[in-house]
This record gives sequence, C-alpha cells and structure tokens, in this order.
Amino acid sequence: MIPDIPSSGKFKRFITYLGAGFLILAVTLYLALPIAALFFRITPDIFFSALSDPQVMSALWLSLFTSSLSLAIVVIVGTPFAYVHTRCTYPGKMLVDTLIDLPLVLPPAVAGVALLVLWGRVGILGRYFNMLGISIAFTTLAVIMAQIFVASPFYVRQAKSLFEQFDQSYEHVARTLGASPVRTFLTITLPLTASGLVSGAVMTFGRALGEFGATIMFAGNLPGVTQTMPLAVYVGMEGNLTIGLTISILLVLISFAIMIAVRYLAHREESHA
Amino acid sequence: MDVQRNDIVMERSSKLNYILIAGIVTCLLIATVFLAGCTSNSAQAPQATATPAPATPAAVATAAATPQPVTTTAAPAATPTAVAVVTTPKPTFTPSSQNVVAYTAASLTGVSPKLASDFAKMYPGHKVVFNLDGTQALKTQVENGAYADVFISASNSYTATLTKEGYFVDGTVKPLTSNYVIVILPASNPANIQSLADLAKPGVKIAMEDKTVPAGTATVAVIGNLAKSTYTQAWNNSVYGNVVTYETSEPAVATKVNLGEVDAGFVYESTYTAAPKGTYLAITIPKKDNYLQTYTVGTLKGSTSKGAASDFENFMLSAAGQQDLRDAGFRPISTS
Repeated sequence: MIPDIPSSGKFKRFITYLGAGFLILAVTLYLALPIAALFFRITPDIFFSALSDPQVMSALWLSLFTSSLSLAIVVIVGTPFAYVHTRCTYPGKMLVDTLIDLPLVLPPAVAGVALLVLWGRVGILGRYFNMLGISIAFTTLAVIMAQIFVASPFYVRQAKSLFEQFDQSYEHVARTLGASPVRTFLTITLPLTASGLVSGAVMTFGRALGEFGATIMFAGNLPGVTQTMPLAVYVGMEGNLTIGLTISILLVLISFAIMIAVRYLAHREESHA
Repeated sequence: MDVQRNDIVMERSSKLNYILIAGIVTCLLIATVFLAGCTSNSAQAPQATATPAPATPAAVATAAATPQPVTTTAAPAATPTAVAVVTTPKPTFTPSSQNVVAYTAASLTGVSPKLASDFAKMYPGHKVVFNLDGTQALKTQVENGAYADVFISASNSYTATLTKEGYFVDGTVKPLTSNYVIVILPASNPANIQSLADLAKPGVKIAMEDKTVPAGTATVAVIGNLAKSTYTQAWNNSVYGNVVTYETSEPAVATKVNLGEVDAGFVYESTYTAAPKGTYLAITIPKKDNYLQTYTVGTLKGSTSKGAASDFENFMLSAAGQQDLRDAGFRPISTS
C-alpha cells in the first residue's frame, strides 16, 4: 500500500518528526519547568509545617470563601444577564458588549484604583455609603467586589456565546407548546448549555482565586480579612520565602484541579452534543 | 483508486511537511536569536567597563569645582584601551557606567528627583536611575539576581543580611541618614484624633506597613514602647485591632491617608515634613518611645560601573546630598 519513499524522503520525514518533537518539547518544558521548580525548592516537611501556619490557613480559607461567593454572584446575575443580552436588541448593546470584555484587557491594578475612587470612603459613591455607616474599601466585601470585576468576563462571555450558538428552534417549540419564556429558559436552554456554563464558571473561579492587583489596591492587605492567597505569596516573598512557596504550591494544585475540571466538563459536553 | 488515494495522502502529508519544516525553521531562528542574545549579553560586561573612558576626563574637568574627589570614577586609562577591542554594538538596556542604578528604599521616593538632579550637577555626565520599593522587596530582588549598582536600605537588619550574604563591596556600606516614626492623619481628621490614645478608639481605621517593611518593623517597636511606657496592653491590642491594612511600602501608607481612606497611618517623619503644608495632620511620638531607623548606602559587588556607583555614594554622603535629605525631613546621622 505505502508507496516507496526515496531515502531523501525518509530523511525529510525524520527531520520533520525531530522538529515536531523539538517544538513540543520546547513548549512543554517552557511551561512546566517553572512550575516544577516550585516543588523542587521546598521539601515536603517544610511544606506541611508551613501549611499549618495560621497565615497560610487564613489566606487559603479567605481565598476559597471570597472566590466562591464571587462565583455565586457572577453566576446568579451573569446567567440571566447573558441570556437577556443575547436575545434582546437594545440601544447601546455594542457598548455593553465592549464593557463586558473590558476587564479582560484592563490591568487589574487600574481596576483596583478605579474601584477605590468610586467605592472608597471619600469616593464618588463610597462617601454616601460612608454616611450610612457602611464602609466598603479594605473589607472582605472589597475583595469580593474586586474579584467580580476582574473575573466576571470569563463567565459572561462564555454564557453569551453559548446562548448565541444555541439552536433557538428548541426554544420556539417549547414556546409554541405553551411554556413561558422563563420556563423555556429553565427547562430547555439552561440544561442544554449547562456543561459549557460550568466550564466558564470554573474559569471565573480560577481567575477570582488568582486576583491580586485590584485586591491589594482596593481591599488592602490584612491577614484574615483581605489577605488572599496571592497577596500572601507577595508578602511572603518579601519576608518568609517558605510561606510564599507553600501558598504558591497550593495555588498550583488548585489551578491544576480547575484545569482538569474544565477538561472533564468540555469532554462531557462534546460527547453529549 | 488506491493509488489515487495515496497520492492525495502524499500531497496532504507533503503540505504538512512544509508547514512542519517552516515551524522548525522558525523554532531554530528563535533559538538562534536567544543564543545570540545570551552571547552578546556576556560580551556586554567588558564593554560596559569600557564606556567610561571618554567620559571620565570630562567629568573630572567639569566637576573640578566640587570638593568631591572624582578620582574614584572607574576605569583608569589603561583598562579601556585593553577592552576597547570588543566591538559589540552597545545595547541600550545595559547599565553603562554613566548610569547608576540605585535600588532605593521607598521612603526616599519624594526626595529622589532632587537627589537625581543634584547628583547630575555634581558629576556631569552621570545619571542615577532609582528603583524605589520597600527595602524588603528590593532585597529579595537583589538576592534573586537583579542588577543594581547601589543599594540604599532603610533598615540596618536588611543591610546586615545582605552584607552577610556577600552582596556589598567591602567597606562601601555607610550610614546615610535616619528617620523617626510619626502618625499622620488626613487634613480633615475624619476620626477626630487628638492624641495617640485616640488611635485605640473603636472604629478608627489605621494603616501601617507590613512587619517585613522596615517602617513596619519600626512601627511595631514604637507601638510596643508606647504600650509599655505610657499606655496599656489594651491600648496596644485596640490599635492593632483598628489596623485595616498592612501595606508593602511606606509611601503606600501615606497614600491611603492622603486619599482619606484611613484615619491614621504610621509613616516616617520625612514623609510628613516633605509633604506640602496642609496635606496631613501629624501626631508626634515622644523620642524616648520612638524608633530611630538608620538608612545605609552601599555599592554592590555585581556592579559593572563601580566608579560611578562610588561617585553616587560620595554624593549621597556629601554636604549637597545630606542637605537634600535634611530638606526632605530626614535626620542626619551625626545629630540624631
């Protein structure tokens, strides 16, 4: 079957495979080596003893708590928003589209400053909240607000594109059979896009967990209240490197778990479709 | 049929081959560029020492009026001729001996432009580039291989660590200036703080530096001293309870106070003195309870322009440099 390949062809093929292998190896190593280096810099003993450090634990729990809450808010508000946004045409839709994506390109530090001058104690809106005795900046609420601002596009974009690509004839059939728009959404659209939405949500969670710039600007750095894991890594790097490394490894593990979850969900989505 | 299919497969795979070969070529090109970059990097070191040659006489001539001995400028006439053979084009990012890269404690941020211009006045042709950050951050950067000529530390303990680790040229580390801790309030004084005792009032928002920041170390010591001498342990606990953020540099605390986002902040005296009048209110801390932070300046072993670095050090310790620091609210070493 296979036609004879002249020796020069064989040589070419060999070079090709060699090149392909080299490319793959280069990319893999470039990405994997820094991660591996984290693990080589610290022994398991030190890692586990640092893990019991109250600063590490409080940062871990604070990060998980705030990221989960941010995610919940993004999903609860973002899902209906994305649906309404894709199904309706309204003036300024383009502008809203752009605004949704803005946090993706905006440096998080800028987001932090912007949030501070709006919601801070002497900020444009924050001063009125301050009169009511509500302070936002430098609280756990500020951490969550920063995370929502920075991480929401990952979910909303995904939801938007899912709803845009969704075959609307399913919805039309349901509507002709007498289902209300809300019921159609809840029983037809949502279940059929669920796995895609979940993978968007996982990405949002990951981004919220990694949020640094906006948090340190807007929420400050107070252990147990606003010092999330990335902030603890930053402060740890300047004092106790062990703590910085330990939290970095924790974050790597969590990121891996997130990526595996996304892979799994994407795979499931494919097999269902 | 079969033959035809094979042809198609062949055609396809040959197309794929071209793409792959193109990929390999690109890859090799990138690798070459990297290698070239590396080799030219290593060639820079002697090149950098060569550059001062023409500038040195100029500096000597123009700076003759100043009392500073300029003889310290690097590269006596012999070396440049020897190294001048290296013809690598001068990369713009290499710190030439005309440029002094000074890793400088963030509390000098305010005075740094004045220092830069006065240094250029005293040593024409020289230029200083400041990297301003908390000393703890700068220390980490230097320990991880960052290039710097001069290191100005706001903490004796970090200076000691770096000295022990062998980063400084022996004998170049000198005390530079000093600073006390002070409490600053926004000009509007939103929490109506009148004394140090008021810092413990419930609801007061305090910003201070993280304890890894030299100013933070000083602040912790000051609060401890005050609690012991004048106030109580309860005061101490309430003050810490009122802290809303531990910033990673001293100016960051001042910014939070300046914005009015917090009611009080622990900073250095110099920050209050150097700020325009009316920016902050201040509550001074009695000298007996205060913590005198000593700054040091030193030349790093890795510097490729030690001459210019030592010129900068001379300038910092000269009457002109000390005057700049005094004007910015720092306390000279001798009188403190």
